[in-house]
Amino acid sequence: MKRFFKRNAPAYVFLTPWFIGFFLLALGPILASLYLSFTRYDMVADPRWVGLDNYEYMFERDRRFWKALEVTFTYVALAVPARLAMALGVAMLLDKGLRTIGLYRAIFYLPSLLGSSIAIAILWRQLFAADGVVNQVLAKFGIEGAAWISDPDTSLYTLVVLAMWQFGSPMLIFLAGLRGIPRDLYEAAEIDGTSKPRQFFRITLPLLAPVIFFNLVLQTIEAFKTFSSAFIISNGTGAPADSLLFYTVYLFNEAFKFFRMGYASALAWVLLLIIGFFTAVTFFTSKYWVHYENERD
Amino acid sequence: MTKMTRRQALGTIGGAAAASALPALPAMAADRTIRHFWWGNPERDRRTFEVIDVFQKNHSGVEVSGETIGWGDYWTKMATQTAGRNMADLVQMDYRFLFEYVRRGALQPLDDHIGNGLDLSNFDAGPLSGGVVDGKLYALNIGSNSQVVPFNTRLFEEAGIDADVINWTRAEFADACEQVATNTNAKGADDFSLMIEYMEAWARQEGRDFYDADGNVTATADDVAGYWAYWGDMRDAGIVMDKNHTVILDKPMSEWGLVTGESAMSPCWSNQLVAVQGLVTDTIGAAMVAHKEGGTGWGQFIKPSMFMSLTRDAKDVEAAIMYMNDWINNPEATAILGLERGIPANPVVREALAPGFTPPEKLSVDYFNAIQDKVGPLPVPAPKGAGEVRDAFMRIGTDVVLGNMDAAEAAGIFIEDAQSIVDRAR
Repeated sequence: MKRFFKRNAPAYVFLTPWFIGFFLLALGPILASLYLSFTRYDMVADPRWVGLDNYEYMFERDRRFWKALEVTFTYVALAVPARLAMALGVAMLLDKGLRTIGLYRAIFYLPSLLGSSIAIAILWRQLFAADGVVNQVLAKFGIEGAAWISDPDTSLYTLVVLAMWQFGSPMLIFLAGLRGIPRDLYEAAEIDGTSKPRQFFRITLPLLAPVIFFNLVLQTIEAFKTFSSAFIISNGTGAPADSLLFYTVYLFNEAFKFFRMGYASALAWVLLLIIGFFTAVTFFTSKYWVHYENERD
Repeated sequence: MTKMTRRQALGTIGGAAAASALPALPAMAADRTIRHFWWGNPERDRRTFEVIDVFQKNHSGVEVSGETIGWGDYWTKMATQTAGRNMADLVQMDYRFLFEYVRRGALQPLDDHIGNGLDLSNFDAGPLSGGVVDGKLYALNIGSNSQVVPFNTRLFEEAGIDADVINWTRAEFADACEQVATNTNAKGADDFSLMIEYMEAWARQEGRDFYDADGNVTATADDVAGYWAYWGDMRDAGIVMDKNHTVILDKPMSEWGLVTGESAMSPCWSNQLVAVQGLVTDTIGAAMVAHKEGGTGWGQFIKPSMFMSLTRDAKDVEAAIMYMNDWINNPEATAILGLERGIPANPVVREALAPGFTPPEKLSVDYFNAIQDKVGPLPVPAPKGAGEVRDAFMRIGTDVVLGNMDAAEAAGIFIEDAQSIVDRAR
């Protein structure tokens, strides 16, 4: 125990600012929200204890809760693989010894910096509007585009495309991972006459597995938390016809539009459990597909 | 501080003592502050801050801090401040939220201040009564309005429409839309399908308010189905704006059909006429919401557009009342405010304003006078959950507009949802 502290003391000293922030600003509200999830609280009158009522209502009677889950799960299932594939693809293109490579990396990273901003969400709405740029371009080719955003059948896909476009941060991580793969493996494969696709599946993917795993976990959590783009594009309501009712948008509406803080807190805790569950599943399955280089088996 | 003569000092003290039984605070204490919080827009904010300047000039020693934010975030911020026991002294209030805030104990009644700092002797009785909850005055009317359908007079002329737009019927309205669509390159009107206020007007014409006094839904599925079918027929005929325009919710004024020139009519509130005219190059006219042929009730009513309320957290009540009184009685202040928040309830103020009216201001006052005997009584305030019912109406209505659900089926679902929303909010 003593030795542990002696060895780690500097680390804890450096962590102090974070600890202070966590205990003062995060832990209190987190515990308060757990308490509030068992109450009815409209922010004006005092919270009133209602036991499990919020949770019961959520699972048994709230149709919009299930709709929100459906929208969010569909989004996660589409957006996470799409973004990771995009990120890996671009990372492999950029994993070359070009001299201007730094510039390209910066350019490709740019959308992720902008992507979560309000401005891009508004731009997206304009691009995919019925008379927006996308349809004008399609019209040039004689194709009549859909009313992407205002049609419940297509609105969610515009957000998946937006998510794909924001591939910057997983791309950087993939790039670092690709750099870590020893070149001589590829050279050996070349000499043996192994085709490029085979090299990809037999060398790149297996050796990149830890990085893919890392990105998968982070991006899944990220995707479950998607809020601002959906909020802006749907005018804050999940419209049209609830097709953009992301879980977080629903939660926000319950809390700050209808002032059901208790119910919203319960929704937040359920989201936490859902994200925790998926992260745990990913971790559990990882031992079957993620191998670390320094492991010997 | 400038030195007072002995006589002035005595006069001030004597005046204060005579004026009220309130604790006689020194009139020149420099540390009195009141906070005024309102939802606004650039024009309203400019006028309000100007009134604050005038007030501070007339009452040196009282500092007013104005806080403004858009309607969408206003109620969030208000709820947060209420929860934090940190409400502004004076807040702008809406009829829809008034009862909720009173019942939660967030507002103070004004009755004790009437004739005692707050001069209401000229105030119209009708607008005044809109702020009464449980027999006490909790909210002071700072403007009235009603629904209006502004129309493009050039397009109406080109289409050859000579309908009486104050007394017209649903069929005449549909005819006008058809004429505009046939004879000009614009549509007749925006599609009102997702605007609950107009469905409510429709239901009142059928003889029913949307909610009763107990907060239950009294409008029927037939009312809603009839409304959606009426608009559906016009949409199918191509004489109102198409579905892609309609399902984008809460469009800013700049995207209304009337403003972009794509249609001849976009509905709004009468206090918005001035702003609408500001964005349209053609001259606009003001029509009523079309009436039902031989209907049993009037669809429209005169609505208090905004109130000012004194909150539970007010610290300097005397100064706050002084400020409130200036708002409705001081000609300097009322001249600045004009009609921006609605028609003032003080006839003296209205008379003083009349000579300076711009054409759209005159239009809104003329319209207001013309509809006086064609409106019904103020409905009971909407129950808790009404905001959510509005959302449900737009959500389910979207499915109707897009053709995913037929009007009758959707109307049944909506009425059922609406009742369960208000039940849950109790």
